[in-house]
Amino acid sequence: MSQTHNGKMALSATGLGKSYKIGKVKQAVLKGVDFSAYHGQVTMVMGPSGSGKSTLIAALSGLMKPDEGEVIALGENLWKKKRGKIDKFRLDHCGFIFQGFNLFPALNATQQVEQVLKYQKVSHSEAHRRAVEVLEAVSLGHRLKQKPSELSGGEKQRVAIARALSKMPSLIFADEPTSALDSVSGQVVIKLLHQAAKERGAAVVVVTHDPRLEAYADRVIHMEDGKILSDNMVSEPPVLA
Amino acid sequence: MAAVIALAVAGLLVLAMSGMFMGMAKSFTATVDKSPAHVMILPPQAEGLFGNNSGQPRRLIPTIYQHPDVLEVQPLNGSWAFWSNFPKDGQPAKGDGVQVVVVDPVKGAVTLPTDFSDEVIAALQQPFTVVVDRSSLNKLGVKVGDKAKMNGRTVTVGAVVDGYPSMFNSQVFVSYQTGKLIYVVDEGQRVGPLVVKIKDPSKAKQVADELNAMSHGQYKAWTRDQLSKSSQKSMLKEGGISMMIGFAVLVGIFIGIVITWQTLQGAIMANIKEFASLRALGVSMGALRLIIMELSFWVGVAGLTMTVFLTSLVAFAAHSAAVPMDFPLFIVIPVTIGLMLIAILSGLFSLGVLKKSQPADLLR
Repeated sequence: MSQTHNGKMALSATGLGKSYKIGKVKQAVLKGVDFSAYHGQVTMVMGPSGSGKSTLIAALSGLMKPDEGEVIALGENLWKKKRGKIDKFRLDHCGFIFQGFNLFPALNATQQVEQVLKYQKVSHSEAHRRAVEVLEAVSLGHRLKQKPSELSGGEKQRVAIARALSKMPSLIFADEPTSALDSVSGQVVIKLLHQAAKERGAAVVVVTHDPRLEAYADRVIHMEDGKILSDNMVSEPPVLA
Repeated sequence: MAAVIALAVAGLLVLAMSGMFMGMAKSFTATVDKSPAHVMILPPQAEGLFGNNSGQPRRLIPTIYQHPDVLEVQPLNGSWAFWSNFPKDGQPAKGDGVQVVVVDPVKGAVTLPTDFSDEVIAALQQPFTVVVDRSSLNKLGVKVGDKAKMNGRTVTVGAVVDGYPSMFNSQVFVSYQTGKLIYVVDEGQRVGPLVVKIKDPSKAKQVADELNAMSHGQYKAWTRDQLSKSSQKSMLKEGGISMMIGFAVLVGIFIGIVITWQTLQGAIMANIKEFASLRALGVSMGALRLIIMELSFWVGVAGLTMTVFLTSLVAFAAHSAAVPMDFPLFIVIPVTIGLMLIAILSGLFSLGVLKKSQPADLLR
């Protein structure tokens, strides 16, 4: 992480440490990790399970407070904020995509997206317009009224992506977004994330152990045992205004 | 949905049980409610139609006539009699105490219930002919036209009436004449409640007040409504009825809260990951709590709707089986409020599980 780049920094973390207590044994899962992510780039964090990549993403996104170190997200010191302010920060700037799609079974695709926008104080008509637009962008224009039970796994993940993108986030976190999907659906999903980085200038951080996704990464970080083993910048971050 | 059903069943339990008891209480006052009398005179300390065994002096009757608006004053006669049927082949012999109600079988008479048909009146006019409530036929072991024994004299069941069921002794209506023949008419110095007919029924309240003013504490005048309500209340006060209703309410509330709460909590737990993903996307805990409270409110509304539906089914079934049920507002309103409270409380109790919606748990 010594090299400097011309891109615009979205996330930068220094000295992140986190340990869990399992019974009486304290186990360190993050050991002084430094991390950065740029706008307009897909940064892929890879590593075997238990390497600390999920904990890293939780600390970066304001979901779990690290024991030590600090996270500067969009120029703000994330963990110096109060809990309510962190919620607000996530509401305003963060999109999440999880391995499980976590869609409410009672809501149709459009409502899933509108629901989140409602909390951003977007008016109902505007929320509807944006939901339809973003669902069309993920090629679900023909599935607007379907509930999760009527959608395939890939379609569900696309709804979840639409839900994350509709907020127009600057930071997108994806945790194993393709591991529950077949390879074709997985390709579609990673392409969408790639597109979000390129077209919207979002900083996309993807945690995965699926090697097929590497082709879409601008930067690949390998982790093991709570440490970063290698950091390979495939393409330079775009220079954004 | 499960929470809605739990709530509805709790509501039904409370309403159906209390409705049944209220119906029974009301059946005691049926004779008051259906009396053509506008004002009734009871001993001064009486709280209702029941439990005034000592009665009041017969000499009160002329003093009531002193009020210029009074048309007719009659004592309500009635006493206990022993009833037995003549069992036919294979039929069990029935012997039971019955409450005899003496009426004047003349249309418009102050002692004759207003809903007695011409046919019933004609039947009562025959000597040794009695009229019973339809729901008592089985209990008394007779059909219309059958003969039976009352206080050792043979009587004929001339007709049946509806709406005079009784929780304890069956009611048997007889004419004054028949009443004398079967030794139930007391012509002594003490009489039961007095029923009064006045010239202008709309002035009943005023006449009752005026009669009370001139009673010098010797009696108390009631309008029909006042007496009916007060009788029901005194029934509730002394009988085990209030205890039973109280028990029904407790069980209902218990079932309601525990089941509704648990099912609501289950529903939240089933969606806990979805809630957690909303948390991850930055929706605050307060906003999620609001969702739960909104949900429990609608569970309450749906539960109420279903309670109304179920209760009317039960009431209909009860009606067709001639079981008296009554749903006075002073029970229905608290039950309605109670059900909503249960729903809201269940929602409040369920808020705790939201803490389990840790978005960090979704990352693995």
